[in-house]
Amino acid sequence: MGKLEGKVAVITGGSSGLALETAKRFVAEGAYVFITGRRQEALDEAVKQIGRNVTGVRGDASNLDDLDRLFDTVKGEKGRIDVLFASAGKGEAAVLGEITEEHFDKEFGLIVRGTLFTAQKALPLINDGGSIIMTGSVASVKGFPGFGVYAASKAALRSFARTWLNELKGRNIRVNVLSPGQVDTPDSQRLDEATRKMFEALVPRGKMGRPEEIAAAALFLASDEASYVNGLDFAVDGGFSAI
Amino acid sequence: MGKLEGKVAVITGGTSGMALASAKLFVEEGAYVFVTGRKQEQIDEAVKLIGRNVTGVQGDAANLEDLDRLFEIVKREKGRIDILFASAGIGEALPLGQITEQHFDKTFNLNVRGTLFTVQKALPLFNEGGSILMTGSNAAAKGFPGFGVYAASKLALRSFARTWLNELKERKIRVNLLVPGAIATPMQESVLTPEARQYFESLIPRGTMGQSEEVATVALFLASNDSSFVNGQELFVDGGMTAI
Ligand SMILES: NC(=O)c1ccc[n+]([C@@H]2O[C@H](COP(=O)([O-])OP(=O)(O)OC[C@H]3O[C@@H](n4cnc5c(N)ncnc54)[C@H](OP(=O)(O)O)[C@@H]3O)[C@@H](O)[C@H]2O)c1
Ligand SMILES: NC(=O)c1ccc[n+]([C@@H]2O[C@H](COP(=O)([O-])OP(=O)(O)OC[C@H]3O[C@@H](n4cnc5c(N)ncnc54)[C@H](OP(=O)(O)O)[C@@H]3O)[C@@H](O)[C@H]2O)c1
Repeated sequence: MGKLEGKVAVITGGSSGLALETAKRFVAEGAYVFITGRRQEALDEAVKQIGRNVTGVRGDASNLDDLDRLFDTVKGEKGRIDVLFASAGKGEAAVLGEITEEHFDKEFGLIVRGTLFTAQKALPLINDGGSIIMTGSVASVKGFPGFGVYAASKAALRSFARTWLNELKGRNIRVNVLSPGQVDTPDSQRLDEATRKMFEALVPRGKMGRPEEIAAAALFLASDEASYVNGLDFAVDGGFSAI
Repeated sequence: MGKLEGKVAVITGGTSGMALASAKLFVEEGAYVFVTGRKQEQIDEAVKLIGRNVTGVQGDAANLEDLDRLFEIVKREKGRIDILFASAGIGEALPLGQITEQHFDKTFNLNVRGTLFTVQKALPLFNEGGSILMTGSNAAAKGFPGFGVYAASKLALRSFARTWLNELKERKIRVNLLVPGAIATPMQESVLTPEARQYFESLIPRGTMGQSEEVATVALFLASNDSSFVNGQELFVDGGMTAI
């Protein structure tokens, strides 16, 4: 018997990388998942890979109309949500001195504003006892040059988790942040060899995380195994931020 | 197929409370476990409760000779260790001004010194890819009056985890801290006054204390391969008390 038998999960930014791997794991554990992304082809390909118990909904997680459409679809098809994994996000670099309004608005528009309204719009559908997980980043507790805006946007999610878990306690909804370290996803495969080596040197085991390893941690936070785990900023980074 | 099929686990202070619940769950998931404690009757009861694939070893985790004896038995019976859950610990309260040498020595001897030598003595038996977990306390992130010495002893473990994971990285041994909040273990139930209980419950968002079984599932996660990229973490199991 799977750990998410009969549960309904919504995963934004779920058509690639660690969130796609999480969607696969959730389905293997008995859940029905909705995944989102902006590119229809990527979404179709992901739905094919997941194979069953999945609906792909095209949409931009920073666009509130798209979010309304997403939750209308979820409501129409399943009526309720047990697990919300708000994972859509993208880290772009700009050092202080060169930060544009556009850079700031884009990062905060998706990661902070988009995640906030994803959670708020999901709320009426979330079952009591549900689990909300947001994807943070260990960048938020480090000082990587160039990632100041990205890191701050992810740090804001940890703050949201703390307020929301308290506001949602009457409904027994848990809220946690999953903060990956360096993970080998299509996004990080775009890195040049030198940057990749630099990142790997920071991980004690010398190798990046695999998306499957993030999926296992997401499953843990989503399931009843974590029933007394709440408000964490949970780093899944091979020990990188601890040392 | 269990998550710990064929694994060998050693759990100190494993005859009661959350460590006992963990021992039980580890066995259900396929592990063989060694549990320790000082009181023989409690060991016997725990062994009976766990039922199979368990050896109880009497010993004080603050006593280095007892630890030697423990790991000799493990070595003889199983030869190796995959999971070490160093959980023996005490938390007694004394506010600054009233702290005695004895209080300090007793707390640090078990929680810090005992945990250190438990890990060090286990090390030669450790398989590559093993998992070490230690029991911290969310008191270490708070300022509960009276618990200054206890909290500091538990925070020392977080520091150990950080150094050791780096020193043990070639052997792929992960080191994490499991950090319980208020858990309704037999020990807690026996010492908590109704007022103290109410106070703790008022700090927990859901308003009820954690159960030992809710800590055991987290220990299982940290012990198993599901946490293969989790290292050096303080995993709070406190219902959100520390976060808010
Ligand atoms: N990989 C790492 O090392 C790492 C480390 C720390 C944190 N993270 C975080 O983990 C999350 C996933 O990262 P990843 O590496 O797995 O990324 P990825 O492989 O690039 O996948 C990103 C996914 O999000 C979707 N997406 C991007 N922008 C979106 C938007 N505005 N609205 C809806 N969907 C959107 C993408 O599809 P479309 O492009 O089609 O929209 C894709 O499905 C992000 O929040 C990232 O910040 C990653
Ligand atoms: N309960 C909580 O709310 C809470 C919160 C945060 C942290 N913790 C920590 O969690 C751990 C377990 O607590 P618990 O509440 O589950 O305790 P418990 O129910 O009292 O169990 C304690 C166990 O440790 C053993 N033990 C005590 N001193 C020992 C020693 N010197 N050497 C070997 N074994 C010893 C006890 O057996 P004997 O007495 O027979 O030795 C018993 O098996 C401790 O490290 C504690 O500090 C507890």
